[in-house]
Amino acid sequence: MIQATNPLRIGLRQERVVSPQCLVIFGASGDLTHRKLVPALFELFKQRRLPSEFALLGCARRPWSDEEFRNKMSKSLAIEIRQSPKDWKEFSNRLFYEPVNLEHPEDVIKLRSRLEEIDKIKATHANRTFYLSVAPKFYASGCKSLADAGLLKDPKRSRVVIEKPFGRDYRSAQSLNSIVQNCALESQVFRIDHYLGKETVQNILVLRFANTIFEPIWNRNYISNIQITSSETVGVEDRAGYYESSGALRDMVQNHLTQMLAITAMEPPGHFDPEAIRNEKAKVLQAAHLANELEPWKCCVRGQYSKGGSKSNPLLGYRDEVGVDPNSTTETYVAMKIFINNWRWQGVPFYIRTGKRLAKRTSEVALTFREAPVHLFDAAGGTPTSNQLILRIQPNEGAEFKFEVKSPGSGMRSRPVEMEFSYDESFGEPSDEGYVRLLADAMLGDPTLFTRSDEVEAAWRLYTPLLEMIEDSPWQLPTYPYESRTWGPTQSDELLAKDHLLWRRP
Amino acid sequence: MSPQLTLQTPLQIPPQEIPGYLQKLWSQDQSDNKGANTFCLLVWHPAWMEQKLVSTGRINGPVIGVQRSDLIDEARKIVLEKDLPHSTPPLAKEVFNSFKTTNISKQHEDLRGQHIDSAISQLQPRRLITLAPNLEQGHDLETLVAAYCPLPEEGGGNSACGDVIVLKGDTNSLKEGLCIVEELIPEDLPSWLWWNGSLDEDPDILSQLALPARRIILDSALGEPSHCLNVLQERIKSGQAVNDLNWLRLRTWRETLAMVFDPPNRRDSLSNIVNLDIDIQGDHLVQGLLLASWIADKLGWESTLEIEKEGQSYRTRFKRPDDLMVNFRLMPLPLGNPGINPGQIIGLRLICQSTTNEKAGLCVILASESGECMRLEAGGVASMELLEEVVPLQNSPVERDVALLLESSRGSTSPLLSNATPIARKLLNLIESKK
Ligand SMILES: NC(=O)c1ccc[n+]([C@@H]2O[C@H](COP(=O)([O-])OP(=O)(O)OC[C@H]3O[C@@H](n4cnc5c(N)ncnc54)[C@H](OP(=O)(O)O)[C@@H]3O)[C@@H](O)[C@H]2O)c1
Repeated sequence: MIQATNPLRIGLRQERVVSPQCLVIFGASGDLTHRKLVPALFELFKQRRLPSEFALLGCARRPWSDEEFRNKMSKSLAIEIRQSPKDWKEFSNRLFYEPVNLEHPEDVIKLRSRLEEIDKIKATHANRTFYLSVAPKFYASGCKSLADAGLLKDPKRSRVVIEKPFGRDYRSAQSLNSIVQNCALESQVFRIDHYLGKETVQNILVLRFANTIFEPIWNRNYISNIQITSSETVGVEDRAGYYESSGALRDMVQNHLTQMLAITAMEPPGHFDPEAIRNEKAKVLQAAHLANELEPWKCCVRGQYSKGGSKSNPLLGYRDEVGVDPNSTTETYVAMKIFINNWRWQGVPFYIRTGKRLAKRTSEVALTFREAPVHLFDAAGGTPTSNQLILRIQPNEGAEFKFEVKSPGSGMRSRPVEMEFSYDESFGEPSDEGYVRLLADAMLGDPTLFTRSDEVEAAWRLYTPLLEMIEDSPWQLPTYPYESRTWGPTQSDELLAKDHLLWRRP
Repeated sequence: MSPQLTLQTPLQIPPQEIPGYLQKLWSQDQSDNKGANTFCLLVWHPAWMEQKLVSTGRINGPVIGVQRSDLIDEARKIVLEKDLPHSTPPLAKEVFNSFKTTNISKQHEDLRGQHIDSAISQLQPRRLITLAPNLEQGHDLETLVAAYCPLPEEGGGNSACGDVIVLKGDTNSLKEGLCIVEELIPEDLPSWLWWNGSLDEDPDILSQLALPARRIILDSALGEPSHCLNVLQERIKSGQAVNDLNWLRLRTWRETLAMVFDPPNRRDSLSNIVNLDIDIQGDHLVQGLLLASWIADKLGWESTLEIEKEGQSYRTRFKRPDDLMVNFRLMPLPLGNPGINPGQIIGLRLICQSTTNEKAGLCVILASESGECMRLEAGGVASMELLEEVVPLQNSPVERDVALLLESSRGSTSPLLSNATPIARKLLNLIESKK
């Protein structure tokens, strides 16, 4: 039997260690905290990347004690704790809880003395990261209460992490930015996009900028089109309340897919420095626009899943899901065509699609290269296939390159083959969850993988024509039904057919 | 990047007045500036060789306490001049003892502790305390203090964010001065001791400075091997956070070897290792033993009591979890023009052979980039898959390595090192029984 992990790998990584500090999570009784944040912190602890002078203070309205908080967290981490009970014992000593209602500024002022007390017992040196894992309506007021309580005064010793979604549209993102920037310096603000925490998304940067063979062909002269896909097989599950007011465009495209777009299309930064990278990302997003801004329906298709599945495993349609309006027009699928107006990408279409209840769960960026100018050989499949580079974000993280080779036999027929690189097979250990990396970076004060205010605004601005149309005249961008577990409405195939292309079937 | 000097000229103040002076210095500044919230670094910084070379006029002063190239070059010249074996590392005790300090030149300036390498200053230490013993006797205790701040391009502002304290004098007067050191260490910050000298010297001072709560940085390649491993083991056992520069320099070997076995289809070979050969430069055995011990620990091998000496090399065996044996050979090679650090590994060979599938053999050869002749070859194992990798040289200046440790330590000894040390100690005991 092959061992899952390479024993020589264990404990080998030399990661940066977080400096002494207290992480304060608002929304400590919520879903994200127990499902993602505390497990990620425990993982960091096990990897020895948290200093001994570390504390986690959970805050929410319910009146838990430290002990109750520790118990609740231990329930959600039951499996991990069973594997490393000693670590948990040590780690849980660093967990504390303080009831705080973000609507009561006096609670936040009171929090100060609790933090000072923790500084004393855990030697956390008044160094703090505040994580707002609460409903978006509290982002602005949360920042304000923290600033009013003087907790953001020292830019070197305080940071705020803000979850997604950052705003609902360009305007609200702008006003949230201005409130947040009144409370803290931009360097103190960490806007989370958990896609950026994924190794494979970061790998796009390394692949592009650490190799000499890709960059010379990474442009309009060699690339004919780029498809970015993020598909889920699950439906809306128990998040109907949130999803009804959000939809696929806000939930996935504006943040995650746009970040993949930016990283794929940005210019090489002068050096690997957070600001240099974020400058380039912001620049490329500012140059991006919908293929037809005046008539968005010509370059964008919305869809909504209807029932499907099999007799033994029937699947509900979106409108039949618990908590969804039976007449809902919220999109669970969206596909669109985007151009980037710069020297590198002029005329190269970027097709973006995402959806729930699609045929397969996958996230990938597929670059299709131009055809060879002359076809010298017969292709086994009729016409030669264009070269393709596929960057797989999840699952089966890796990359794949498709090219033509001679097929065996006396003639000179060509056929496509694939060259594969797989993370699992090349590296001796599984990669970390996105939140592990992002939490560590935020606590280290490294903003490289966080979205800067101008990036967020540029991303919202890009989709403004769509959002306005959905708001003002939704009939112009109808949500076409598609059967659950298929690849979306047929109209999205037509979007590509107009350009004589097909969506890639991952 | 070049090292930097303190921004102020250090002030000479009597030792007992330093705490008061520092308190005043910080309280006079803006009220909310309490200095960098980082760590305090205490450095034992004898720089014996540099002092001797400067005082004999063989290299130019001032003494700065950095391993600069003219110092190494001059030491290498001495190896040749004094007919020492060409494999003698330039900073070895033998080199130091081989020349005399008869023609002492004029009094030289001593800037130890005031010259701060940028790798370290970038980490914005809150306080740097340097103990700079004088080579010659008859120097009274002298103490210097200065506020210090990294230059703005390194992320520093205009306000003072750290301070530098230097204690100078001959070893005896420094010993007397040790009592004020503890008073100078900020209570609420992690404190580090960097023992920038041989582990053989002054065990008294070492134990006075290396209090259990202090994180210690040492180099197990400096000093008599057995003593080095003893210090390492005792310190780790006592629960102290120990950071060994010799172990840190092994990181590219660990990484390259792990990389070989990352692809899952090679994983099985790890349980079929039958031979492990390690070649080292010179006869300081610690690094070679630590690497073998790390592998043994990770793969669950137990050391046996067998030992043989064959020419220069030592042979012993490990027992694998499946009770089969692994032959381990450690080979010290006297090479000319050796690196600064004694006993660095230059080659490793692993042979894996499955008992069930004769054909599924794998021979892994790792060689250091230094270009020394490749002694380890896949001789007689032609039917095996052969994997050869070059391990990048670890030539970063010691200050850079220290900065890396300061930045990445979590406040406890790396479990890899604490598991490997007792195994290495056991192996060295066996070897010594054969000497
Ligand atoms: N869950 C996910 O997978 C996920 C993924 C991406 C982004 N996010 C984002 O992360 C944030 C948190 O999501 P979630 O799923 O964890 O939400 P949730 O389960 O609804 O939790 C919300 C938390 O906020 C607390 N809370 C509510 N009102 C409060 C108030 N006035 N003062 C202080 N605390 C208050 C709640 O605790 P009490 O009731 O005890 O006060 C609870 O701990 C949201 O912004 C969401 O958009 C979540």
